[in-house]
Amino acid sequence: MSSSPLIQTLDVKKTYVTESVETPALRGVSLELHKREFTAIAGPSGSGKSTLLHLLGGLDRPTEGEIFLQGQPMSELSKDQLAKLRLSSIGFVFQAYNLIPVLTVLENTAFVLELQGVARRERISRAQKILSELGIEQYADQYPHRISGGEQQRVAVARAVVGEPSIVLADEPTANLDTATSHDLIDLMRRLNEHKGATFLFATHDSRLLDRVNRLITLIDGAVAEDVVQRPADARIEAAAS
Amino acid sequence: MKAAIRHIMRNRRRTTLTLLAVLIPVYFLVMMFGFANSMMQDMFDSVTRFDTGHMQIRAEERRGTGLAMPLMRDASDALGALASVDGIEWSTVRLDLPALASVGEETRTVYLRGVVPEEIDPISNMAERMVSGEFLTETSDGVIVGEELAELLKLQVGDEMVLLGAHPEASLGAIRVPVVGVFSAPEATMGRTMVLASLSTARRLARSDTAATAIVLRVDGVTGPSDTRRMDEAAAALRAALPAGYEVKDWLELVPFVTGYLRILTPMMLIMAVVFFGLGALVVVNTLYLSVMERTREIGLILSLGASRAHVMGMVLTEAGVITLAGAFYGALVGVALVLIVEAFGGIPLWGQMAAYMKEIGISPVMHMSVTATQVLLSAGAMAVVAMLAAWLPARRAAKLEPMEAMRYVE
Repeated sequence: MSSSPLIQTLDVKKTYVTESVETPALRGVSLELHKREFTAIAGPSGSGKSTLLHLLGGLDRPTEGEIFLQGQPMSELSKDQLAKLRLSSIGFVFQAYNLIPVLTVLENTAFVLELQGVARRERISRAQKILSELGIEQYADQYPHRISGGEQQRVAVARAVVGEPSIVLADEPTANLDTATSHDLIDLMRRLNEHKGATFLFATHDSRLLDRVNRLITLIDGAVAEDVVQRPADARIEAAAS
Repeated sequence: MKAAIRHIMRNRRRTTLTLLAVLIPVYFLVMMFGFANSMMQDMFDSVTRFDTGHMQIRAEERRGTGLAMPLMRDASDALGALASVDGIEWSTVRLDLPALASVGEETRTVYLRGVVPEEIDPISNMAERMVSGEFLTETSDGVIVGEELAELLKLQVGDEMVLLGAHPEASLGAIRVPVVGVFSAPEATMGRTMVLASLSTARRLARSDTAATAIVLRVDGVTGPSDTRRMDEAAAALRAALPAGYEVKDWLELVPFVTGYLRILTPMMLIMAVVFFGLGALVVVNTLYLSVMERTREIGLILSLGASRAHVMGMVLTEAGVITLAGAFYGALVGVALVLIVEAFGGIPLWGQMAAYMKEIGISPVMHMSVTATQVLLSAGAMAVVAMLAAWLPARRAAKLEPMEAMRYVE
């Protein structure tokens, strides 16, 4: 890639310390992520996928090394500045959907916009638009517990992209979903990646997802074991068919 | 904001508990103000109407008068000065003499109060206080006595008593007077010691045609114990106008026991307010802590989405603020409603020892209630402030959560 990276990590290490026991989670990860990439971080449980995602998302700080977001070193940012950065530049999708139970689907989607200070009328219009694009506008007035897991995860994706962040970080987004729903969700995110130019980075060990990304980073024992740029399976199938 | 409001609605039991923690102290404080106001007003009315007036002009304290009030041989210069002062609604001359009252073998120390009956009746409603016989007239030679004294001396209307003057500055006189009536005194001590006569009868005992011990005054526009500004202004004007040798004393100086009650009442109210507010604040802290604990994962999520700590704090404080305002409002509403209901039913009658004690200290044994808008606002406002200060702790805890730790939190 010739453009400047969206995210760059330099020898990032993370060690958790509990009662004087040190557990290394990342042992020096250096990588670059560019705009419009649709990337997965794969690896077995405990390989450091989620840790890396949290560090990239500014939810945690590395023990050593540096992370740059759009050239800005994240270690120099205070907690409040990190919060601002998350709000303006990073969208999150979590494994357990994590919608706010007292807000409706529309309100959950518009929540990030509210935090960004977008005017009420505009945030409702933008939230409705994204719900419609994701095919869940009919649930706008429902509370999260009234819709299925797959639909909740779609709402989580809608919430993650509605604020037009630089990157969407998704931690095991399909882990709780059945195959069909997982495929739907992946298709949805691919569409957002292709049509809206949203950059996605997943932590996953779901093979259904690994096949569909255009870059696959494999972590083993907290270090990058493999970093492969690939042609997504659906593109390969489409090419074969034509 | 929306999330905060929805949380209030989601856990109704906890919301109700928090609401009550604010509501009950406000309601109690309004009620306490209601009782205290009424008690003070009752004491004020009873004392100022029957005994002291709002203030009195007296001769300056002199040595040698003992417990007796210093005698004014001729108060005409003081009365002249009084006429030049604005804002005096009513005045009357009075002569109080310590005396011995004898009936048969019984003798008791009493106070003979010489009054102008036509002047004091409209203020003290003495005619309504008569238990038997008739109230005095200026030409009447008789006396009226309190129920308690009548019982002690076994007196009935029509009996005679001998009064022996004992004022150290007056001549020693003795008069035989008929008892023309028995009255119900507002206060038991007064009922045991007070003998009321016309001013001319009292002057006969003092062997003086002009003697007086006080000019009793009521100040225009003063209706209760809190109207101190008008009283202070009138007292200052009087002091400036009076010739040397006189002093002006207001009702609180004349009945020090009321000042004593006031001294006790204010700290008592404060202590009770602190206890109620403290308990209310504890419940608010507890329930909000619980609410924050239960929502730790949700707060973690909100923080991870990019909410600032100020936003999270604002969310918890908004929730507390809405409940607090509602609690303070309804507490004030319930308090005021109960005050109005109590008054609509004519007050709460006391009985037994309590009623006897109230009579003893000159307060009506029927408890009335009244409360001012300032007191209601003060009660509600103070509790709202205390509750919001209490809410600060859980709000700060919520704001200090680390997003990832909070999201991993397991209840």
